[in-house]
Formats: sequence, C-alpha cells, structure tokens
Amino acid sequence: MLEVAFVAFWMAMALYAAATVLYVYHVVTKRVALSWYATFATGAGFLLHTASIGLRSSATDGTELSGSNVLVLMAWALVLVYFVLEHLVKRKVYGALLVPIALLAMLVAQIGGLSSTVLAELRPEQAALLDNWRVGIHVAVIAFANAGFLVSAAASLMYLVLERQLKNRRSSKFMSRLPSLTQTDTIARRAVLWAFPGYTAGMMLGALRAIETDVALWWADPRVVLSGLVWLVFATYQFLRWRRGWGGRQGAYLSLAGFVLVVILAVVARTVPSGFHIFGL
Amino acid sequence: MHFVLVGLSHKTAPVAIREKLTFPAAVQEDALGRLTRLEQVNEAVIVSTCNRTEVYAVASSDDGGVDAVIGFLAEYHDLDRHELTRYLYIITGEAVVRHLFRVVASLDSMVVGEAQILGQVKEAYGHAQNTGTTGKAYNKLFRQSFEVGKRVRTETAIGESAVSISYAAVELAKKVFDALDGRTIMILGAGKMSELTAKHLVSNGVTRVLVVNRTFERAEEMAARFNGDALPYERLYEALGQADIVISSTAATEYVITKADLAPVSRHRSAPLFLIDIAVPRDIDPAVNDLSGVFLYDIDDLSGVVESNLEERMVEARRAEAIIDEEIGVFFSWAESMEVVPTVAAIRAKAEVIRQMELEKALRRLDLSDRDRKTVEALTCAIVNKMLHGPTARLKKAATGKDGYVYMDVARALYGLEDTEDRHGPGAFRNLLNMRAREIVEKQKETGEGIGDCGA
Repeated sequence: MLEVAFVAFWMAMALYAAATVLYVYHVVTKRVALSWYATFATGAGFLLHTASIGLRSSATDGTELSGSNVLVLMAWALVLVYFVLEHLVKRKVYGALLVPIALLAMLVAQIGGLSSTVLAELRPEQAALLDNWRVGIHVAVIAFANAGFLVSAAASLMYLVLERQLKNRRSSKFMSRLPSLTQTDTIARRAVLWAFPGYTAGMMLGALRAIETDVALWWADPRVVLSGLVWLVFATYQFLRWRRGWGGRQGAYLSLAGFVLVVILAVVARTVPSGFHIFGL
Repeated sequence: MHFVLVGLSHKTAPVAIREKLTFPAAVQEDALGRLTRLEQVNEAVIVSTCNRTEVYAVASSDDGGVDAVIGFLAEYHDLDRHELTRYLYIITGEAVVRHLFRVVASLDSMVVGEAQILGQVKEAYGHAQNTGTTGKAYNKLFRQSFEVGKRVRTETAIGESAVSISYAAVELAKKVFDALDGRTIMILGAGKMSELTAKHLVSNGVTRVLVVNRTFERAEEMAARFNGDALPYERLYEALGQADIVISSTAATEYVITKADLAPVSRHRSAPLFLIDIAVPRDIDPAVNDLSGVFLYDIDDLSGVVESNLEERMVEARRAEAIIDEEIGVFFSWAESMEVVPTVAAIRAKAEVIRQMELEKALRRLDLSDRDRKTVEALTCAIVNKMLHGPTARLKKAATGKDGYVYMDVARALYGLEDTEDRHGPGAFRNLLNMRAREIVEKQKETGEGIGDCGA
C-alpha cells in the first residue's frame, strides 16, 4: 500500500508540474484553449494527491504528523483552496503562482525525507500529547489557514507589481496579463478574512491541548512564539484595513510580511530541535 | 488559374475617389454578374469597405484579366479609365494570395489589427457565393483566408490593446477596477474630448456620472446627456470623494486639483482613484500620483500607452506575417495540384503503378525468356502510352483556355486523383494509391528517368 501511495504521490507531482507549465503558458500567450488542461491537470493531480495521503495514512494506521507529512498536507490544502479560488474569480493567473508553490512544498517534503519520521523516537509523554482529536483538527485548520495566507500573499505580490506599473505609467505586455488592482486587493483581503479565524482556532486548540497535558513552559517554545507573531501581524492587518481604511500598498506589504513570518515559522519548525513542539521535525 | 486583383485603398486613393468606387450590398449581385459574364473572368469577389474596394478575379490570363476588370470598374462607375488607373493597384499571381491574407489579417488596414475587416471580407465572399461567382479556386482561397484571419487573431495579440486615447483610458480603468459596473465617474470641465471618453466608460458599465463645471448650465446640459448629476464648482472635492474615475479637461491655466487638497479625500477612501487629465495646460498637479491609491494619467501618458500598444501591434504584425507565409505555402501546395503539369504527371504515375503491378502479377504466372519478357513489358508500355496520349495532350491544350481548371478538376475526378483530405472510406484507399503514385514519381525524379520505363 505504501508503494501505491508513493507512486500516486509522484504522479501528483508530475501533474502539478504539467499544470504549472500550462498555467504559465496560458498567462504568457493568453490562449484559452490550453488553459482547460491546466485546470484538469491540477484537478487530477489533486485527486492523486488525496489518494496518496489516504493510502499512506491507512498503511501507517493514521497520518503521522511528521514535518514532511504536514508539508504535504499544506500543499494539499493550498491546491484545494486554489481550486475554489479559480472557480470563484474565473481567472487562472493565480494558478501560475500557487500551483508551483504547492509543487515546491511537496518536493521539499520528499527530499526532506518522508522516510525519516521522528515519530518513532517520540518520548511516551509526547505520544500521549498527540493522542487526541484536538491535535488533528489543530493541524488541519492551520494547514488551511496557511494556504489562505499564501493566497493573500500571492495576490498582494501581484497587486504591488501592477500598482508599480500603473504608477510609473508604463504599459507593458506583462501588465496586460495581470488581473486588476481591485481584484487582487479583494482576494488578498478576503483570503486573510477566512484564514485568520481558522488560524486563531487552530492556535487555541493547540494551547488547550498543551495546558490539558500540563506541558511546562509550553508558551516558550520558539514555534509557539512565532505563531503568536504571525497571529499578531494578521490581527493588525485586519484591524488596519477595517478601522483605518488601510488599503492597497500598505495592506499588501503587511500581508507579505505576515507570510514571510509563516515561512520562517515553517523553517524553524523543521530545523530547531528545542521546545516541546518538535513533531514537525 | 490566373489570380488577378485590381483595387484601391486608403493608401492609394483619396476619399473622393474611394467613395465613387464602392459596391454596397445592394448592387453586389448585379456587379458580380456583369463581371463574370466577361469572357476573361471566371470567378470574382468584390470586397468593398470604406477604406478599400478590391476586385478579386480568376482570369484566363493575367493581362487579359486585369484589362477586363479595369474596364468593368470604369464602365460600372462611369469613370475615365486612364484617370482611374492612376489610383489602382494591380496584383497578379501568387501576390494576390498574400495580399488577401494580409488584408484579412488586418495588416493592410489603416489601423493595423482592427477587427472589422475579417467580417467585411466574409460578407463580400458571401455575396459572391450566393451569386454563384466563386468556383473551386476562390472557395478554397477565401475559406483559407478566414482561417488565416482567425489564426492571426487568436495566435497573436494584434488586436488586443487599445490604440486610441479614449480606449486606452477605458483599458487602464479596467486594469484598476476590473469591471466598471457600478463605478462612478466625474467629468470636470464639459468638453468634447472628455465627453467621448466618458461615453466609452459608460458603455463599459459605469453607472453614475457626475459633472462639475465652472458654468453650471453647461454642467447640467452634459449631465442630462448622460442621465447624471450636475454639481456646482464649489462642491468639487465632495464629488471627488464619491468618484472612482475622474476625467478632467477644463480650460483653467492653473492646477484645479492639487496634492494638498486631494490628500484628505484620498485618505478617507479604500477604493483607488483613477484620474485622467486630458487638458493642456494640465488641470491636475502631477504630484497627486504620489498619493496612495491615486493613479494619474495625463494626455502624454495616454499617448505613450497608445504608442507602445501600436509598437506592440507592429511586433505582433511580424508574427502574423509568419503565419501568413505558412498559410501561403499550404494554399499553393493545393493550387499546384490544380495545375496541368502535376495533374498529367499524377495520371501517368498512377497508370505506371497499375502497369507495374499487373505486369508483376502476369509475369509470375508465365515462364518467359528474357526476350519475351521484354516484349511483354514493351507491350504494356505501348498500351498505357497510347491510352494516355490523347487525353493528356487534350488536357494540356484545354488548360490554357478559359475553363482550364474545370478540365483539371474533371480529370482529377475521373482518374481518382481527387484531394481526399475530408473523406473517409474508399477515398482513403484512393488516397493511399495516390500516395504510392507520388512515391514512384518522386523516386523517378530522383533517378532522373522519365515516368515509368516506357520513356513516355
């Protein structure tokens, strides 16, 4: 069963790679005819991706929450979120940016070693900590929230590029391929609007579990501190956008800053071996 | 098959001549009928738009065809023939195909890349088809030209970006606001140019129009035309707070909108503000562009956009030329099959294939000496040559006449050389045979022998 999961995983990656090429081709040439195949490849890749996760999970008797496995889950959530986005806004430009990121995450997970699970070396108290439904939801919700932050960052990046071009009054071929300012701005805002409550809930579940199992100094773990920072940045983002009417450029910068923190957190979670929250290692 | 094109366009003739030489839809049937009744003309299509009038004909000879068409034009419109000739361009042969493809691809238009021409040529072809003045050659040529037009549209970005100031403004507004539905524009200064731009914006979905002008009456007049609201000049900044797009073209000599005054307005809005300043001297302080969410374009910026779009079209036009070259190749490989020499060669090759196959079959059953073998071979050659000599000679002679291609057509049909690209079943088998025939011909061309061993 693990072999089948492995094959499905690589086929999903191949399909995402094909989708990336097709999305980029679609954006560059504006030919509509082939863009359908891009969506198709992404969809087929997603199904295989899902199958791979499911098969692996049933082979190992429940998904192991190792760092690379979580990365694969995040890529999965990102593709799912992107699919919904494409359906809602009927634009495929974002796919050229988001699908390769999902692919990259899977590649990193594969190279980082799906084989080297740390779970085997878990201390008994850690295993007890993980053995709860709250942890599963904690991981799933944060994976989706991260996908939302990533969508917001991608839209913000497009916003900034487009804004610069409009301000400089240069009309380039590249500009005509980008979506409009208001659309990127709206997507950036709404993505955070959806992701933020999820992130909050995920963090609360994690904290609840830590308190429940009586982990000493759980709040001093570098991952917990960093996720608090992420939460703070996006809380500020929400606040400034609604209360101060912050729009456009500043909002885009803030969203990108928040996402940089998410990436740092992801790297730290997989490299720094201190603190109690080391399952991601 | 001699292609002939006689025509004039905005490049060769002033409007005073162009307007005299039009063929509106109502007279097309009559004109096409008269044209094809001429001895020299077999097929004809007349393309008539406001920028060009072109008569495409298939004639029995180049010179005769040109002569006949010019005569027809002069006579039909009661013009002096010599006077008219000054404005005409005359194209014959292969160049006609290239010209038509370039026209349909909108490379020959006044505004390169404009979209109407394809439809206009389609319409002209439709008239000719209904009147029955197109035959095999022009049916093929024009249908392929529509393919060319379509390919150029979809495979290049030739018609993509705006090439007029007011369309460039609309395009930019869409880049900022996505769809313009539900947006509000403010017209500052009731001038002609701002009205035109506003019209384009409204037709693209803008729902509310505010007009601000120093003389309130003129503001009211214009607001009435757009079904909008007029506001007195004092309430300019209030209107700015509501507007998404501002078109400014007042006669003021100083800046009407300054950065200091606009800053508080822009701070209180979350949507971007798109300012179009088409006045000279300018109405809006260029420094407002530094404000967050404010985008200012003056007349030079818009012309810059138009210019770079035009340049882009020129680049795309080169890509279109490549497509055209490719399609010309396709067309002539078809046209060649309609010529007499390849037709005769194909018939001979086919006969040769049959002769060789039958010969082989017979020789296998007979046990002949070398001498007898040669005699039988010579016999088959003689039969084939004698059978074919008459028809091919007459075909060659007929090809020079007015209906030459009709003979070619019939010959190809009778000998089963018909182009079978769209057919299935027996046609496919026939095609296979033709392929073998072609192979043999190719081989013999290479070895330098005549068709078959018979030295025909």
